[in-house]
Amino acid sequence: MLEKTGVATEQDLARVTPSKERRAKGPVAVIECFQRIPCNPCQTACKTGAIKEFKDINDTPEIDHDACTGCGLCVSSCPGLSIVVVDETYSEEEALVKIPYEFLPLPEAGSFVTGLDREGKPVCRAKVVKVLNTKSMDRTPVVSLAVPKDMSMTVRFIKLNDYFSDNTIVCRCEELTMGELRELIRKGYNTVDEIKRISRAGMGPCQGRTCRQLIMQEIAAATGTKMADLTVSTYRPPVKPVKLGTIAGGEHGE
Amino acid sequence: MNKTASVVIIGGGISGASIAYNLAKKGVKDIIVVEKKFLTSGSTGRCGAGIRMQWGTEMNCRLSKFSTEFYETANEVLEYEGDIEFKQGGYLIVAATEKEDEQFKKNVALQNSLGIPTVYLTPKEAKKIIPHMDETKIISATFCQKDGHLNPFHTTQAFANAAERLGVKFMKYTEVTGIKVENGKVVGVQTDKGFISTPVVVNAAGGYSKQIGEMAGVDIPVYAERHQILVTEPVNQMQDPMYMGFALNVYIQQTPHGSFIMGRSGENEPRDLRITSSWDFTEKMAKDACTLLPMLKDLRVVRQWAGLYTMSPDRQPIYSKAGNVEGFYMSTGFSGHGFMLGPVTGVVMSEMILGEKPSLPIEKLGLDRFEKGELLFEPSVV
Repeated sequence: MLEKTGVATEQDLARVTPSKERRAKGPVAVIECFQRIPCNPCQTACKTGAIKEFKDINDTPEIDHDACTGCGLCVSSCPGLSIVVVDETYSEEEALVKIPYEFLPLPEAGSFVTGLDREGKPVCRAKVVKVLNTKSMDRTPVVSLAVPKDMSMTVRFIKLNDYFSDNTIVCRCEELTMGELRELIRKGYNTVDEIKRISRAGMGPCQGRTCRQLIMQEIAAATGTKMADLTVSTYRPPVKPVKLGTIAGGEHGE
Repeated sequence: MNKTASVVIIGGGISGASIAYNLAKKGVKDIIVVEKKFLTSGSTGRCGAGIRMQWGTEMNCRLSKFSTEFYETANEVLEYEGDIEFKQGGYLIVAATEKEDEQFKKNVALQNSLGIPTVYLTPKEAKKIIPHMDETKIISATFCQKDGHLNPFHTTQAFANAAERLGVKFMKYTEVTGIKVENGKVVGVQTDKGFISTPVVVNAAGGYSKQIGEMAGVDIPVYAERHQILVTEPVNQMQDPMYMGFALNVYIQQTPHGSFIMGRSGENEPRDLRITSSWDFTEKMAKDACTLLPMLKDLRVVRQWAGLYTMSPDRQPIYSKAGNVEGFYMSTGFSGHGFMLGPVTGVVMSEMILGEKPSLPIEKLGLDRFEKGELLFEPSVV
């Protein structure tokens, strides 16, 4: 329930999400405003008439997505920070999501940040493409983020630290970082088995219990393959570390 | 997609990578290495990765001395951006029977005559080198400081990277399904990714080299036997040399990374290309390790695996061209020592293919030695 959790439900979202076809045509505003309050700056900011005139100032806004040009004027006008612009035509792999961001410091264009979903959960890396902060925006800067295309309707906020950063340790036993993993994948090691052999990731005491999945996720993301289609590395006995003395017979019935 | 190559090398292990590098270095263009899975996915990536110069035949001593000297400067010669992790902690080879002790005395004399600095040790002297060993289990030992251990993945990658810079193409995940021979000459290799026209094929397929030979109609008297290894969690450095015994049927070493790697030969290991693991091995290996090096009993085993030894009748390599098929070469039968001989394999095979004078007298390692009955039996094998 939105009123209790502050997180929009799927039903709520279904009502305000622009169609897939519309999103494929170019930038469009997504108004995730679900609470009736006396508020209409989005409507007055809209120069194309896509946001329809309010009958009652308490109404939630209604938008004609086909009339919307995705100009983004409404984004910084919304005091509730509930409007974003989504552009799925940004590039082959990525979508652009423009979000209002009222924290300091502002992110720097070109930096990588963590994309968060509506619950504040990290979901992907996001690249800051542009930070717009003009006088008319009245201290509600708009941050343009490049995110994986399938994240366009998921990423709604950011955290400035880079959760999925290159310094994150992927294999704790052998201390392989995400950055090192990415470098290996770039060099063409694109199966878990190859990465295991060249980096020792997965060869430590945990035998890949932590890193195997993470490595597969990263390979899948980097190569555009489904995780289900990747080859899993071999599971080898004894699965959990066992003392040589125990295997040999032990001393006290070990 | 059909291709043309001047040489097709079958097998992306240490042998294939080294042969490709050496041929390319000598100016050969259009070399393709075909590998069924990925580099080192076969025997190379599964081996114990030790290298020793302590052998019982002059041939193996000379081959391994050549390779050891190469590995000492391999990072620089191959301009590798990583590290092949060559640790020359030595091999301590222990004698457990009177017969073995006698043989070792002969071996040391042979090795010393070839410039290999092996010394003969009493059990007490041996214990100074590996303090945690039970010296009562041995009669004597021999030690060569220059023997050691490398990382097989990085070593192969170093050769492969250097070869790629010289223009060699590596086709990963490509399986050879046939070899086309016309009028007694190799004309091409059929793969699941297309046909490659080539006048020269090099069989460096390790455990699968018999099958590759059959595709060209060449009978190679080798068989692939499963051998198993286990590895422990890494601990602080406590053992520099490899501990090895032939009568004791064991080798135990600590890698620079800290983990202990150990293996032994099984009595009834399958010869059907199987590389599964067996409990029988784990149990016997653990018992041997705890008996010979008792301190290891508290080390935890994290993993075990298996690979293939390509066994030749006399336990020595086969560096040869086929008598009946022109353009078909083979480098196989290493009997568990293909990784350590990688550098010399590349040199002598490239010389053979280009018709050059061999750097080492390898004429006796030809395929025809089995027909002639001129075997060079190697006594020092685990």
